[in-house]
Amino acid sequence: MTATLSAPAPVTTAPRQIRWLLRLHRPAVYTWAILVVGVAGALLWLWGPLTDAAATAWHDYRTTCARDLPCRYDQDAILRYKDVYQYTTAVILAVPFLTAAWAGAALTGREVEAGTVRLAWTQGVSPLRWLAARLALPALLVTAGTGLLALLHHVAWSAGEGRIDTAKHWYDVPTFYSGGPLIAALALTGLAIGALAGLLTGRSLVALCVSALSVAVLWIAVQMSLPHLWPTVAGVAGRGRFPTYSGIKVEEGIVTSTGAHVPASTCASDASAWCQRFNDQRHAAGFYVDYHPYSHYWPLHLVPAGLLLALTAVLTTLTFWLLHRRTTGTPTKAARAVGAGRGGATGAAR
Amino acid sequence: MSSDTALRAEALGKRFGLRGGWALRDCSFRLPAGRVCAVVGPNGAGKSTLLALAAGLAAPTEGSVTVLGTTPAAARPRVGFIAQDKPLYPQLTIAETLRMGADLNPGHWDTDGAEQVVAGGDLDPEARVRTLSGGQRTRVALALAVGKRPELLLLDEPMADLDPLARHELMGTLMAQAARGTTIVMSSHVVAELEDSCDHLLLVGGGRIRLSGEIDDLLAAHRRVSGAAATTPLDPHTVIESRVTGRQLTALIRPAGPLPGDWRTATPSLEELVLAHLRNPGAPALTPADTADTADEEEHAA
Repeated sequence: MTATLSAPAPVTTAPRQIRWLLRLHRPAVYTWAILVVGVAGALLWLWGPLTDAAATAWHDYRTTCARDLPCRYDQDAILRYKDVYQYTTAVILAVPFLTAAWAGAALTGREVEAGTVRLAWTQGVSPLRWLAARLALPALLVTAGTGLLALLHHVAWSAGEGRIDTAKHWYDVPTFYSGGPLIAALALTGLAIGALAGLLTGRSLVALCVSALSVAVLWIAVQMSLPHLWPTVAGVAGRGRFPTYSGIKVEEGIVTSTGAHVPASTCASDASAWCQRFNDQRHAAGFYVDYHPYSHYWPLHLVPAGLLLALTAVLTTLTFWLLHRRTTGTPTKAARAVGAGRGGATGAAR
Repeated sequence: MSSDTALRAEALGKRFGLRGGWALRDCSFRLPAGRVCAVVGPNGAGKSTLLALAAGLAAPTEGSVTVLGTTPAAARPRVGFIAQDKPLYPQLTIAETLRMGADLNPGHWDTDGAEQVVAGGDLDPEARVRTLSGGQRTRVALALAVGKRPELLLLDEPMADLDPLARHELMGTLMAQAARGTTIVMSSHVVAELEDSCDHLLLVGGGRIRLSGEIDDLLAAHRRVSGAAATTPLDPHTVIESRVTGRQLTALIRPAGPLPGDWRTATPSLEELVLAHLRNPGAPALTPADTADTADEEEHAA
């Protein structure tokens, strides 16, 4: 009977698998395409016309209202800039949650729940390849889409800097996260979390909640550890003055007479008479603030992104290991020898 | 063919969860290739677990299962499997489902065979799977499994939810497959629906193999006897079940030697045999492991 199976197995089945992955998740692919194209369009609009109009309006404001002259400026332009900026930022920030929820619920969770994995895993393509396709293609689309949006967001934000008085600072939390590679890394980790949760729980709704909550917890952890992932810069000032800094404040305190920096939770300046006395008592020679200036923007994005990618790699390995353990019987030595001897048909299995 | 054994289990056991009970324990049997094998047992006996282990959808907790002379994972391209609930992607049409089967089974897909199975049910290829009835879904699932040109076809409760006509059609398709040399293993908790079409039996009860072998051999190994209760010594024989009504003793036994002439004996029906074993969990199992040759099989494989 083996002789009738004439045609040799092709070397790769990846394109065919991807075709069916796209077909089965067509609504998600369309949604993602619409989201990326829509937000990218909005960001381009923001970058060009909206920023220019808002900058002009602010210029008019500064030359009229601010000088007690009759107000003549386009308030709508300013509000429109603000609205579009906020909405696009919010959508970009939602991407890691959306990715995790979708991966948990639809990519793996629903397949296990509905039993279609038992269909997928008993075809000629091995379950590990099934998972590889299921992780690789979404990872590619999510990275490309989120990366593009983050890049456009960063560019659009930069265009308004210094021209629009209400433009966000770089260290504004939503602005920081939505404008760099960190958001793409979070989305990728969300994908890995979702795929694992779906396989583990086998229930789409549970996996959806678990993955979305995990991303929230992970994000809080990133936010808390972020300032400590790159060496800070210290701004120092003598008594009676404030240390100058601009960016993310990490720590403040007093400089002692020996020049040592001692963190202080109260009175890190001579803001009041009481503080002045208190600082006299503890022999403060000055004050310092440890902070991240704008020049730390990229390291602050890249270091946590790297850590998240490492976590993603660990989660993905775990998912593969789990699936391998589940779908591979314990091979005996004799069985292995036979498997090797069979050649063609068996070779297509892995 | 490199192996004449389609399926072999050795001390196979499967436990779900760390503290869960054993779904299957200490199962050893051998199914020769080319047979139509019925896996029979009550609900929850471990039939689905056994088929899932053979299909490479679960890893054994202990022991091993050998499929077509190799591991379930390595045998995957040569094995067709239909789960009990006939999972299919509801959003695909029948034609798309078959095209997917062709793409996911490159090199050994039988387009005509799969389409014939679908055409036999008078189904519209453009109909979406979610609109199909139970019997129609079974047909599509079967087309997908048959299109793979499997050497071994594993079917979990294929008859459940099917009306008599659909059952008849399904059996027709399966027998056509069997005629091409495909080994077929199908589970059911209804003995009668498999009796005519199967030549091999695996009786699973309480997670263990109770009976295993050719149905004819199994029937021949048992006798239904009756005689006077006082004068009928059953001692030398293996008693599966015995019942005394008044002074009359009736029993199902596995004779260990010649039976005395004053007993009335008859060959039991398959249903009697199965029910007697299921009613008496303490009765010793009859499996080829007791009688047969595991050694020469090893040689054959090498």
